[in-house]
Amino acid sequence: MEIFLASFGFGLITAAVLAIAAVGFTLQFGVTDVLNLAFGAVMIAAAYVAYWLNQAGLDIWLGLLVASVAGAALSWLLNTVVYAPFQRRHASPIALVIVALGMTLIIEFGLQAIVGGTSVSYTMASGRTVQAGGLQLTVVQLVIMALAIAVMVCIHVLLTYTRLGKAMRATAANRPLARTCGIRSGRVINLTWLISGALCGCAGTVFAMNAGSFNATSADLFLILILAAVFLGGPGRAYGAMLGAIVIGLATEISAAYVTPSYKDVIAFLLLFVMLAWRPTGVLGAS
Amino acid sequence: MSDAVVFYTVTLIVYGVVDVIACLGLSQQFGVAGVTNFGFIIFQAAGAYTASVLSLPSDHANGGFQLYVGGLNLPFPLPWIGAAIVGGLVALPFVFLVGKRLRGDYVAIGLLVAAVMANLIVTNYRSFLNGAAGLSLVPSPLQSRLNPQSLRYQWGYAVVGILLALLTFWFCRRLTESPYGRALRAMRENDLVADSLGKNLRVLRAQMLVVGGAIAGLSGGVLVGFINLWAPSAWGYAETIVLFAAVIIGGAGNHLGAVLGAILVPLGFEEATRFVPAFGPPGLIPAFQWVAIGLLVVIFLRLRPQGILPERRRRLATPAAVSGLTTGDSLASLPLGRRPGPSHGRDRHDDVLEVRGVSREFGGVRAVDDVSFVLKEGHLTGLIGPNGAGKSTTLALLAGTVPVTGGRIVYRGQDITTMPAYQRARHGIIRTFQLASEFKRLTVLENLLSAVPDQPGESFMGAVAGRRHWRAAEKVHLADAAALLERFGLSAQSNAYAGELSGGQRRLVEIMRALMARPDLLLLDEPMAGVHPELAALIGEELLRLCSRGMTIVMVEHELSYMDRFCDPVIVMSEGRVLAEGAMTDLRRRPEVVEAYLVG
Amino acid sequence: MADLAPFTGPDAALGPTYLAACYAATQAINNAGGVLGHQLSCKQVDTRGDPADAVPATRQMFASTSNLALVIGVTSDEAASVVPIINANKTVVFAMTGQSEFDHTHFPYFYRLVPPDLEESYAMVVIARDKHYKRVALAFGNDIGSQTFVQPAISAIKNAGLQLVANETLDLSATTFRTEAEKIVSAHPDVIFTEALGSTEATFLSEVQSLNGGKFIPIIGTSATISPAWYKSVAAAVGASNLSQNFLADNLVVETSGPAYTPFKAAMDAIKSKVGNTGNFDTYLTSPGGVHLYDGINLSALGMVASKSTQPAVWKAAMEKIADGTPGATVVHSFAQGVAALKAGKKIRYVGPGGPTSFDSYHDSTGIFQINKYDAKGNVKVIGSITAQQLRSVS
Repeated sequence: MEIFLASFGFGLITAAVLAIAAVGFTLQFGVTDVLNLAFGAVMIAAAYVAYWLNQAGLDIWLGLLVASVAGAALSWLLNTVVYAPFQRRHASPIALVIVALGMTLIIEFGLQAIVGGTSVSYTMASGRTVQAGGLQLTVVQLVIMALAIAVMVCIHVLLTYTRLGKAMRATAANRPLARTCGIRSGRVINLTWLISGALCGCAGTVFAMNAGSFNATSADLFLILILAAVFLGGPGRAYGAMLGAIVIGLATEISAAYVTPSYKDVIAFLLLFVMLAWRPTGVLGAS
Repeated sequence: MSDAVVFYTVTLIVYGVVDVIACLGLSQQFGVAGVTNFGFIIFQAAGAYTASVLSLPSDHANGGFQLYVGGLNLPFPLPWIGAAIVGGLVALPFVFLVGKRLRGDYVAIGLLVAAVMANLIVTNYRSFLNGAAGLSLVPSPLQSRLNPQSLRYQWGYAVVGILLALLTFWFCRRLTESPYGRALRAMRENDLVADSLGKNLRVLRAQMLVVGGAIAGLSGGVLVGFINLWAPSAWGYAETIVLFAAVIIGGAGNHLGAVLGAILVPLGFEEATRFVPAFGPPGLIPAFQWVAIGLLVVIFLRLRPQGILPERRRRLATPAAVSGLTTGDSLASLPLGRRPGPSHGRDRHDDVLEVRGVSREFGGVRAVDDVSFVLKEGHLTGLIGPNGAGKSTTLALLAGTVPVTGGRIVYRGQDITTMPAYQRARHGIIRTFQLASEFKRLTVLENLLSAVPDQPGESFMGAVAGRRHWRAAEKVHLADAAALLERFGLSAQSNAYAGELSGGQRRLVEIMRALMARPDLLLLDEPMAGVHPELAALIGEELLRLCSRGMTIVMVEHELSYMDRFCDPVIVMSEGRVLAEGAMTDLRRRPEVVEAYLVG
Repeated sequence: MADLAPFTGPDAALGPTYLAACYAATQAINNAGGVLGHQLSCKQVDTRGDPADAVPATRQMFASTSNLALVIGVTSDEAASVVPIINANKTVVFAMTGQSEFDHTHFPYFYRLVPPDLEESYAMVVIARDKHYKRVALAFGNDIGSQTFVQPAISAIKNAGLQLVANETLDLSATTFRTEAEKIVSAHPDVIFTEALGSTEATFLSEVQSLNGGKFIPIIGTSATISPAWYKSVAAAVGASNLSQNFLADNLVVETSGPAYTPFKAAMDAIKSKVGNTGNFDTYLTSPGGVHLYDGINLSALGMVASKSTQPAVWKAAMEKIADGTPGATVVHSFAQGVAALKAGKKIRYVGPGGPTSFDSYHDSTGIFQINKYDAKGNVKVIGSITAQQLRSVS
C-alpha cells in the first residue's frame, strides 16, 4: 500500500507537468493542424532561458514567467517563418510532420552547440518534504501541481467564456466553416501559437525543475509521453489532454512500482499505440 | 593507394551499399506508395539481429558473456535470407496502423513511437538480444574458410554488396514500373480516390510495409556481417530521419534519386564531417551536422520538394486504336460497358440499387436523413437539391466512401450496407468526386489506366512476374484509353500530368477514368461543373448511350437544363431528405420543389 | 596518437578526458626531443558511442592518418567492433574497456591498463565492507558500460556477507526515476552503488535525497564517476557538500604525490588551456582515462626509443619489457628520465602515476585499487587503498 501511495504521488507530479504540456500541444494541433513534433525542443529551449536568468541571479519562479514568454515567442516565430508558408502552399500533413522533425533537429542541436553536452540544474530550494499517508511530496512539487491546476482552470475559462476561446474551439472543429462563419482564423491561429507556446515554455521549465537536471536532448522521450496523453484524450481536445495526462502519469509510475521501472514508458507507448489503432479520435472523441 | 586507403574505400562502399539498399526500401514505401514509415530503422535492426543470432553459435559457446535467443550457427547465406524474411515479418504487427481510416501523419507518429519503444525494450530486456551491450563477435560470412580481414575478402564483400544493391534496384523498379506500381502511386496521390476505384489500400500498404521491411532487413544483414556486431545505439530513431532526408533530397519516387540521396547524405555528408578539422568544444561538429541535416530537409521540402532527381514522367506511346475507333465515333463501340455484377446474369434485377431508410450523422447533424429510393437499370437518374441538401453525402454512402449510420443498401439483391468502398468498386459501383480528385502526378493516360479492373499486372505477384506477364493486357487497355481520349479531345494531353490540366479538362479525366473502371453503376458528382457547354452536351449524349447499353448512372448536377435534357427520373433532396422524385417536367410543376430549390 | 572514443552521445564526456591525457603526454615527449626524432601530435576520432559508426571512423582514421603511432581510447561502446580492425592493421591500442570478452581473447596489439569490470565491482564491495555498511542497493544505468558491474557486484555482495536490498536499472532516456528512487529509499540501504552517465545520475540522486527527507544516503561510485562532467552535473543537483560527505569511489591506484606524479602534473598543467572549461581541471589528474592513457603513451614512446623502431611488431615487445621490468632495470617515472637512462645504456622499467604495470598473456594489467572522494571544492582526494587480497576475499 505504501508503495502504491508513493507511486500515486509520483504519478500526480508527472501528470501535472504532462498536463501543462499536453494541453498546449493539443490546442496547437487542434486549431492549427500542425503536428508540431518540435514542441519538446521548444520546451527545452525555454527551460534554458530560465536557466540563464537563474544563473544570473533571478529567482526561478520569475524565470518560469520569462520562459513562458520565450516559449510563446519561439512558437509564434516557428509558425510564422516555417509552418505557415508550408501550409499556404497546401503541403500535406505528412510533409509538415517531416518539417517538424527537421525543426526538432535544428532547435535541439542548435541549442546543444551553444550549451554543450553536460547537464545543468536550477539553483533553487526544493523546500521540505511533506508526508501525508504514504504520499511524500516536496513543497516545490506541490507548487508545480497547484500551478498545473491553475493553468487548467485558466484554459477552461478561456475556452468556455471568452470569444477567443470559442473561436479556437470552432476553428479546431472545422477550419473552413469557422472562416465562413466570420471567425478570422488567421488571428485565432496566431493567438493560438502564442498561448500554446506559453504553455510549452511553462511546461519546459516545470519539467526541468521536476527532473532536477537536464540537457538539450532531455525532452526527447517526454515528447512521446505528451503524444500519448494527447491521443488518449483525442487530438485537439483540451479536456481530453488533461484526462490523458492524468492517466499516463499514473499509469507510468504505478506500473513502475508494480512491474519494473525499466518498462514504465513502454506502458505509455502501448497506450498510444492502442489508441491509434483502436480509436484515433481519443476516448472522448467521436467514433 | 596504401592498404589503409583501400580498406577505408571498401568500408565506404559497403556502408554505401547498405544505405542504398535501405534508401531503396524507403523510396519504395514513401516515395512510390506514400507510406510514411518513421519506424523504418526497426526493420533494419530486425534484419541485423536476425542475421546475428542465425550466424552466432549458441550463447553458451562464447563463454556465456552475452545472452541471446537463437544462436543457430547457420552457414552463409542463410543468415542474410533470414534477415530479409524477418524484416518483412516484423512489418505484420504494424499493418493494423496503415488501414485507410488513419491519417498519414498519425501513422507516421505511431511508427516513430514504435521505433523508440522497440529500442527501449531491446535495451532493457537483456536475455533477448543482450540488452544495451548488443551482440558482438558475430561471424563474418564464410569466415571459417576465408580471412575476413584480408583485402581480397573485403573487396569480395563490396562486390557482393553492390550486386545485392543492383538486385534491389531492379526489384523496386520492376514493382514500380508496372500496373501495380501505378496503383501504388495512385494511392500515394489520393488514397480516398484510389479506394473508390477498387484498390485495397490496406493490402497495398501492408505489402509495402512487408517489402520495405524485407529490404531494410537485408541491409541490416549485410551491415552486421561486415562490422560483426549490433547494438541498440546503432539504431536510434534519429537514423530513420537521416534516411528520410536522403530520399527527400535525392528525389522521392525516383529510385535513382534514392541511390543518389543515399550516397550524398548518410554516406557523403556524414563521412565528410570526419575530415573537418576539429574546432570548438568536443561535440560541436556533430551538433552542427544534425542542424545541417534538419536544415537540408526543411529547405528541400520548401524549395525543391521533388528532390534533386524528380520522379520521371512516364510517357506511354498510344497504339493505334485497336477497337478501330476514330474521331466522332460514339463510345458505344468501345468495350466500356459494365462488367458483370456479383449476381448479374444469374438473377437479373431491374432494380440495380435499393436504398432503404439510409441516414448519416456528422457530430449530431443529420446530413442524410432516412433516404429511400430505387435505381432502375439503364436509367440516368438525376440528383438535385440546394447546397447542403446531402447529395454528395448520399453518393458517398452509396459508394461506401462514408459508412451509413442507419438504413440498408441493397445492390442487385445483395446487402452491401457494410461492404467497404473498394469492394463495392470491384462489384461495379464507381463514383467520381465533387472536388478535383485526379491523381496529380500521374499522366492523363496513367490516370485512365489506373482505373481498369482486373489487370494482370496490378497484383504484387503480377508485377513480380514482369512485363511479359502483363504487356498484352496493358496494350489493350492503352488502346481503350487512347480511344476515349480521342473521343473527348484530350489526346494531345495524354502524357501530361493530370495536375497540369485546366479545371474542365480535369473533370473530363475523372469521368473518363470512371468509365475505364467499366462501371455497372456510375455515380457522378457534378461531372459537368466547369466543362464547356458543348463538351458537357457531348458527355451527356455519351452517358445516355452507355445507359442504353445497360449501365446505370446517377448524376448530381446543379445545372437544371442538363437534368431536363438527360435525366429521368430526377430525385430532389433538401435538408438531408428526399423531397420528390419523378420526371423533370412533373417536378417543375410542383411548388414545394421549386421553392426548396430556388430558396435554398 | 589517435584518440578513438565517443565525443558525442551519452558517453560524450569520455573522449575529451582521454584527449587531455594525450595532449599532456605528447607535449612532454616532444619537449624531451620527441621519439627517434619524430614529434607526436594528437588526433580526435569520434565514434559517437555507436559501434556501427565506429567502423568507418576507424577505417577513415587509418586511411587519413599517416605515421599513426598508437590508438588510445576505445571504450566499451565501440571496442568489440573496432579492436579486430585495429589489430588487423597491426597498430597498438591502449583500450579503456573493462568488457569481459577481452579477458580471454588474444589480440596481439591490444593492451589495457584498466581492470576487467568485475574487479571494480569487487573493489566497491570491499569499500562498503570496510565502512561497515550492511545493506547495499544497486542503481546502474542501462548502458553497456554500467550494466557490466551488476552481476559481479551481486555475487561479491553475497561473498562479503553483505545484504543486497535493492537493484534498480536506470533507463538513461527516462526523465524521472522517482519510483526507482522510492524503491531504493524504502529498502533502507546503508549505501548505494551507482554508475549512470549523462543527466541521469544527477536526477536520480536528487530524487533519492528528496524522498529520503532531504537526507543523503552514502554512495559508492565506479571509477567512471571520477570525472569532471559527472561531478559538475551531480554537484549542481544535490549540493557539493552533500557529495563530499557521502560519496566514495573506487579508482585505480593513481599517485597524488611522488616522483611520477610531479612530471605528470607538470605535463597536465602545461596543456590546461587546450582543454577548455569542462569542469574542475584537477579531476583529470585522478581520472583513470587521464592517468592510464598517459602511462600507455609514455610506455609506447619508450618502447620505440628502446627498440629504435617505429614498427609496432618490434617496439611492442620492448614496451612490454619496459612495463613489466626486467631484473636490474632502472625505474624511471617519465619519458625524459627513460630516454636519459636508455642513452646511458641502462635497462629501464617505467612506473608512471598509475603505478607499476604487469601485463598478463592477454595484455591486461590489473592495477591496484584505491578509494577516492571529492572534497567540498570538487577536488579528488585519495583516502585509502585496497589490496589484492581484499579483492580476492570477495571474489
